[in-house]
Amino acid sequence: MMDMKLVVNNKPYTLNIDPKERLIDVLRNRLGLMGTKEGCGEGECGACTVIIDGKTVNSCLVLAAQANGSEITTIEGVGNRHKPHTVQKAFVEVGAVQCGFCTPGMVLSAKNLLDKNSQPSDDEISVAMSGNLCRCTGYDKILRAVKIASQEGKQ
Amino acid sequence: MKYFQPQSVREAVEIARTSEADFLAGGTDLVLHMQTGKIQPIALIDLGKISELKLIRKTPEYLEIGSMATFAELGQNELIDKHAHALWLACQTMGSPQIRNQATLGGNLGNCSPAADGLPPLLALGAEVELISGNGDEVVSLERLLSRTPLLTQDTLIRGFRIPLKGLQSGFAKLGRRRALAIARLSVAVAIEIEGDLATDVRVALGAVGRRAFLSESLAQELSGQEINEAWIEKGVEQVQRIVREALGARASAPYKRVAVAGVFREALASFIPEGGLKA
Repeated sequence: MMDMKLVVNNKPYTLNIDPKERLIDVLRNRLGLMGTKEGCGEGECGACTVIIDGKTVNSCLVLAAQANGSEITTIEGVGNRHKPHTVQKAFVEVGAVQCGFCTPGMVLSAKNLLDKNSQPSDDEISVAMSGNLCRCTGYDKILRAVKIASQEGKQ
Repeated sequence: MKYFQPQSVREAVEIARTSEADFLAGGTDLVLHMQTGKIQPIALIDLGKISELKLIRKTPEYLEIGSMATFAELGQNELIDKHAHALWLACQTMGSPQIRNQATLGGNLGNCSPAADGLPPLLALGAEVELISGNGDEVVSLERLLSRTPLLTQDTLIRGFRIPLKGLQSGFAKLGRRRALAIARLSVAVAIEIEGDLATDVRVALGAVGRRAFLSESLAQELSGQEINEAWIEKGVEQVQRIVREALGARASAPYKRVAVAGVFREALASFIPEGGLKA
């Protein structure tokens, strides 16, 4: 076991973890942040995407220990039912959510893109979203939602 | 399992020497292998907190890349684009944005998958690898290192890479089953020293053709010292197909790859040479 520090959604945590634990396991099982989904568990689908120190990663491929000292944003830190993020609003408006399982990861990839590049081109949106798979929507509505969110500007 | 997070290279090597710990770079392969049980480390040395391993810089003779530079960092770096264009191109398509944010060039070599995207460009560009172990430091060409088995001993740390600044122009292309997020079925990197219309020195490296990426000696001989034009490209296509045929023999993928390599080779050339050759 080892001690580590994390800041998740602006809240500091000191944890005692098994160094074998993946970040997704610590987020879900120890911190109860169930918004981060495990899809494939092998870094292909992006459902488990979180933002570590301003960069999106697959939390199923990161040991929690690697994130020691880092700042993490999960979907719970982006918005909620009462105060949705611009990206979340756009997803709902356009109908970019069907089963919803990929949505948290999609929203984090989109948010991180817009944080860095508030007016992305269609190509830049496609590349930024290329690590997130969706089996329902066919992507068109998702890409449109990101475009609309970018036009509405940051929240 | 023990977990170490050293702050310096010396400290990391010392831990490796006195324990049976394995090095952990980005972890995109290792963490997955641990999850499936394929690898069960006794201890891990996480190199992620050693800032000197993340350096990317140009010296008078070399472009130096720390082993912990991520694909995203390399793919956004102007020095890499300018002096190691093939590597820069490979960094745009490796994995997904999430993987590129985490995966490192050193990890790409340490894991040494046959399909490792970073290795063909490094081979074509004549990269050397800086290694540190309990036995001392070593600089070895990547080509020679890839002929070793095992690739690295347990206590050998990949400090970084250095690419000689020889003014090579280079390109890269890969074939995957889809455009994004696909493992390379085949990859080609080409680096050329160009004088006027002449390709004075040509280096072609192939990935996912055999156990490890390799540099083709015979392609270098066939294509060097000649004018770059349509005929030269066609000759290259013919020769690269021969190399793939010879390298793959009777493997199931051979009939597919020896045809497909023609297109991937053309694409690699087109990634930095205007259509029809330099004169066009």
